[in-house]
Amino acid sequence: MTDSGKRGPKKTRTWVLIADRLADRSITVGGVLVIGAVLGMMVFLVHEVLPLFRGGSVESSHVYQLQGKQEPAINLAMDEYKTIAVSVSREGQVATWHVETGFPLEKRSFDLKDKTITAFAKTLDSSNIAVGFSDGTVRFGRIEFRNDVLPEDQAPAGLKKINELYETDGSAVYSRVPGRQIRKISFKLELDDEIQVSESGSPIKVMDYRLTMFGERPKRILLTMDGSGTATMSMTETKMNMFTRKVVTKTSKSSLPPIPDSSDVAFALVTEMADQAYFADKKGIIYRYNTRDFEHPFLAETVETMPQGTNLTVLGFLMGEASLVVGGSDGSLSIYFLLAREGAKTLDGASLVRTRKFEPHNSAVTGFSPGQRGKTFATCDSKGEIWLRNGTSEETLVKISPPEKSSWQALVLAPRMNGILAFSSNGSSGFWDLSVPHPEISLHTLFGKVWYEGYSEPGYTWQSSGATDAFEPKLSLVPLIFGTLKATMYSLMFAIPIALLGAIYTSEFLPARVRGKIKPVMEVMASIPSVVLGFVAGLVLAPVVENWISAVLLVFLALPLLLVFSAYLWQLMPASTAVRLEGLPKFVLMFVLVGFGFYLTYLGGPSFEKFFFNGNFQSWLNGEGSPAAFLFLMTVPLAAAAVSWSFSRFWGYRAYQYIRKMEMPYSALLDLFRWLCIAGVTALLSYVIAVSLAGVGFDPRGSIVGTYVQRNTLVVGFAMGFAVIPLIYTLAEDALNSVPDHLRAASLGCGATPWQTAIWIILPTALSGVFSAVMIGMGRAVGETMIVVMSAGNTPLLDLNIFNGLRALSANIAVELPEAPKDGTLYRVLFLTGLVLFGMTFVINTVAELVRLRFRKRAMQL
Amino acid sequence: MIRNSDTNGTVYHVQGGPMGTLLTIKDFCLWYGRAQALFDVGMGVEKGLVTALIGPSGCGKSTLLRGINRMNDLIDGLRTSGEILLDGTDIYGPDVDVIGLRKVMGMVFQKPNPFPMSIADNVCYPLKVDGVRDKKTLRDTLENALKASALWDEVKDRLQDNALGLSGGQQQRLCIARAIAGDPEVLLMDEPCSALDPVATAKIEDLIDELRGRYTIVIVTHNMQQAARVSDNTAFMYLGKLIEYGETSVIFTNPKVEKTMEYVTGRFG
Repeated sequence: MTDSGKRGPKKTRTWVLIADRLADRSITVGGVLVIGAVLGMMVFLVHEVLPLFRGGSVESSHVYQLQGKQEPAINLAMDEYKTIAVSVSREGQVATWHVETGFPLEKRSFDLKDKTITAFAKTLDSSNIAVGFSDGTVRFGRIEFRNDVLPEDQAPAGLKKINELYETDGSAVYSRVPGRQIRKISFKLELDDEIQVSESGSPIKVMDYRLTMFGERPKRILLTMDGSGTATMSMTETKMNMFTRKVVTKTSKSSLPPIPDSSDVAFALVTEMADQAYFADKKGIIYRYNTRDFEHPFLAETVETMPQGTNLTVLGFLMGEASLVVGGSDGSLSIYFLLAREGAKTLDGASLVRTRKFEPHNSAVTGFSPGQRGKTFATCDSKGEIWLRNGTSEETLVKISPPEKSSWQALVLAPRMNGILAFSSNGSSGFWDLSVPHPEISLHTLFGKVWYEGYSEPGYTWQSSGATDAFEPKLSLVPLIFGTLKATMYSLMFAIPIALLGAIYTSEFLPARVRGKIKPVMEVMASIPSVVLGFVAGLVLAPVVENWISAVLLVFLALPLLLVFSAYLWQLMPASTAVRLEGLPKFVLMFVLVGFGFYLTYLGGPSFEKFFFNGNFQSWLNGEGSPAAFLFLMTVPLAAAAVSWSFSRFWGYRAYQYIRKMEMPYSALLDLFRWLCIAGVTALLSYVIAVSLAGVGFDPRGSIVGTYVQRNTLVVGFAMGFAVIPLIYTLAEDALNSVPDHLRAASLGCGATPWQTAIWIILPTALSGVFSAVMIGMGRAVGETMIVVMSAGNTPLLDLNIFNGLRALSANIAVELPEAPKDGTLYRVLFLTGLVLFGMTFVINTVAELVRLRFRKRAMQL
Repeated sequence: MIRNSDTNGTVYHVQGGPMGTLLTIKDFCLWYGRAQALFDVGMGVEKGLVTALIGPSGCGKSTLLRGINRMNDLIDGLRTSGEILLDGTDIYGPDVDVIGLRKVMGMVFQKPNPFPMSIADNVCYPLKVDGVRDKKTLRDTLENALKASALWDEVKDRLQDNALGLSGGQQQRLCIARAIAGDPEVLLMDEPCSALDPVATAKIEDLIDELRGRYTIVIVTHNMQQAARVSDNTAFMYLGKLIEYGETSVIFTNPKVEKTMEYVTGRFG
């Protein structure tokens, strides 16, 4: 160095600074992106789920005065696209208008041959009608809407504009649809020839009509009551001869037993199956006929639905005909189910049960219109309020208060339940465009007990699809959450002891050399794809466990006993021999012993089954024989813990000192004898507990054990255990291993055995790590999908029974997603399922972290 | 097998122990895998006295100490030959209960290593291990051991506090109390003061002085002044061999072997 020796601060090179700055920036951006992605995921889930709870909203409302004199409507109908409204008056006048604007369309009329309509009935979809006349005749008819999509150039000329979107030729309404096409909505009126229904010729008072199609064979069911009080049910079947193509119509009639006082009867209802017929009078008394035997109907039940002085104003079925909606002049509204009831005071053992009560209207309920695609329906009251409700969630989705006080005389819910049309006798009409995407979902239907149609009591049910159109999806998340927890609980019960004992064994008892080899093997086990585990469990393990269930149960008892017994026998060996056999021979011997244990249980399985379970475990599960033997097995672990604890508490020290003083083989013999005594006392104690519990009437069957299903939670526990054990094992082993060696040395230096060191020093010190290992295992079990999909049977049940299947949240998403149309209710509920799953793992991980930090604070100073 | 011809079969004894010899180490060799760490060590440890093991790093003094209570057993691939007799029984014999052996030999480590539990639980740990549950015995032992290790006055009001809250010197005295609580015959101390400050070191040295006579103490130390201060006898080891063993005053003032002289005068080490 030739310079003056002056040394300023050294200058950092520019590129180092740039690299540092660059790294800083890119790491920041990356980190923010990751956090953003996770939060975005969460926001997305919530965003997908939120519409479920929005209820409904009115998109637009149109109230207008119709032109010309309007007759009161006995029927109001609207097409699927909410374009044409049709009202039918008592005189047969048919008024039609454009729904949104009230623009009048062609006036038509039915040719009633100068008779007046005395009764009217229609099918649920509004397209088939029946009208009854004062002379006791009935005519069937149809109001059918037609929807054609035409190319743009085929539109007829000279259309009149209704508004920007709609044009009309007087009767049909045209609108443009995407793809240069035109939608034409038209309708067709038809009325068949009359049929004499009332033999006495007295006017038809009330009637109901159903039309079912069995292929090309329509079947009409008509229930009528005429002015003389004669109730008749008729069934008309039209058949076509396959060879002659001749159409034969066969009508059979059956008259129902009379009602004591028929003067007030105002409602008639019949089911599509023609098995129940109802009449109701204005005072709210419902007469239910059982017409299952068509030739011999009988009055099965009479129910009073209204309090004194209140009139019945609305009676109708919701889609599916299982929910009977009853509304009164006091504004009350409820739903009755027909349920088979034990001890029902009716002639057919079933009775009408009020299962739901709705938010009452402020004035008399005057109108009712059921939806055609679910349990949503609309009601209106005498003050002109129109409420849209859902029969399942009991929620009021939309409340419409018209601007001026008007009394709606008729109302109809659009076929897609996205609009309501109301008509008042003074000629004004209202139309409200609704958006009710998920009417049946509320927090209550998702998480609460719901009394579904056809169920004898409220419950938690998940059933997303069914065979019939009238099927109502039942979307309770409770069985799924339960399933997840059940799978997790049972698999952790299997996995935690094995994983933790394994971890303690490798960390504290195995030489470092062997440990270095075993750990990677266990980690390879963790990398087995869970779909393979599930596959093996569902298709291979499940049948094996089913066949050898008694041996499988016996393993849990016999293997630990055998191992401990052999350990005591090992002690009998001279120490020099024992030392020589240490290491590989002992290891091999242990494996041989485990194999031998399995062989023993295989041999002993049948006699175990005979002795404990009446010879057949599965029929024992179904309730045969006494529960005492099983209770004995269940109490053994507890009794063993209690007995050995109290033994070591009261005589442990003395026995230890005594044994210590003795010569080698004798002391081991004495120790063995001591253990046998403990085992004997344990057996005795659990026998006493089991017998007394059984004597008290305690029976585990029906709760934690029960009817055997092949793909059950036990199998899931094994398979999931296989997935979770390596995880818990590795993390717990790491935690145990990271306990500083000086603590181990201190404990051993105090004369503690390796086992005492492990239990009293190592495990408590490593507790934070061990705990998070268990929690991470639990998180894995909660989120695990393929194993539960393939081996759990996917039955969404609320059943603790270990021998029954389950459906977990994760499996539910995997199983149902292909069935869920985008943005549909099921689709969003599945997202909610995911959100719940996310919430569960989030809670588990948070709790794990909090507890871990607490433990850690204690061990921090090490 | 490599044998050191100089020391083959020799057991050095120091006369003058009032209670005779407690431990006799004969021809003790020790291998870590292929590497031999101790070569034919032979010495007698006098009962009730303090014996110091000195020597430069890696000379095998800690290995020898750990060989006495078989703490080395934990190490993979360890082999020994020769014998260590405790009251005439070879502790490496086939029928020896190693756990029982360690109960007779209390051990204090280089770094204070109290367990992460309360002071009382720490001291009573050897009793807990033995299955003692009698409250009075536990309380008495706790008090006696803490008094014996001169810690009682400092911690008697906070026996249930976590031991990790004590200072380093207190922690080390707690470890001594824990070793004493097991009622051992021998106290093995592996550089007990190397992690402590001078004041704490002085206290430990005073404590060792007080324990003299009640326990046979073997102490490994790097600090020659400490060895000179606290021990009755001193063994100097070098490269796994016992070079010289004798009364401390002799070793430090008039050693027979040149190497010892060089070490105690600070010419190497």
